[in-house]
Amino acid sequence: MRAPIDGAPTERAIVIAAQHGSDEAFSALVRLHQRRAYSVVRAIVLSHEDAEDAVQEGFLHAHRALDRFRPDQPFGAWLYRIMANAALDLVRRRKVRDADELPDNIAIPFRDPAESGELRERLTEALRHLTDRQRAVIVLHDVEGFTHGEIGRTLGIPEGTARSDLHHARATLRRLLQIIRSTP
Amino acid sequence: MTDHRWTPSDSELSDALRKHYTAPSDPGYWSALEARILAHVARGAHVERWWSALVEMARPALAAAVILVLVAGAAVISAGPPSVTTAARASSVADGDATLDYMLSH
Repeated sequence: MRAPIDGAPTERAIVIAAQHGSDEAFSALVRLHQRRAYSVVRAIVLSHEDAEDAVQEGFLHAHRALDRFRPDQPFGAWLYRIMANAALDLVRRRKVRDADELPDNIAIPFRDPAESGELRERLTEALRHLTDRQRAVIVLHDVEGFTHGEIGRTLGIPEGTARSDLHHARATLRRLLQIIRSTP
Repeated sequence: MTDHRWTPSDSELSDALRKHYTAPSDPGYWSALEARILAHVARGAHVERWWSALVEMARPALAAAVILVLVAGAAVISAGPPSVTTAARASSVADGDATLDYMLSH
């Protein structure tokens, strides 16, 4: 949130102006929140391109719902919840469209995991084996530094479920990224 | 030969995730994305306004159509029963004549 110094408007004032139809104010909100919004949706979708689509769709939903937002609430939490829903909708649509079967095992030939490129490649595949929610939870926690409570509010799940999803996501990724190497 | 099982630690996993999910850092990228978001929102708002106008226009037309259907229905109902009654009356008169003829002839 922007501090009310040097005559700069507070986020609340910007939100109220946007609610009164100011395009400039809405642009300011986009500018303030697009990076975090991108990170939230990127945690849920599988590609950068889908994240961009979801962010655009999320801001459109937010614009339409702006009248219903109560300015005494934190705008970010409200917006990121909309973003998460937009991303989850997009993932559902993609699943219906693609209906791809994932292989049971990730058959990637072994190389030294110290090669970060190799680990990243394996990670990309392993992430596909998590549920959408588990993936979102671990990325929001480990990458974005969200607390369990913030994750719960963003994804609309209880805090305990966020904790449990994080535990399962981590266990699944560690199992899938496990490598047996032979040394003489 | 000895087999070693290598499993990433939590911190290694977190590092890999952070690298994987690094957001673009170029300010130009974010300016371009902002422009695309605003264009998308403007298009959506335009479609919404157009749709609302269509609904506004359609509402009186729909009301007029409902009234027309009701008037037509009422006209059919009010016109329908007399012709049936008349036919029934004609039929009953004819039946009565036949009965009278029968009684007189026997």
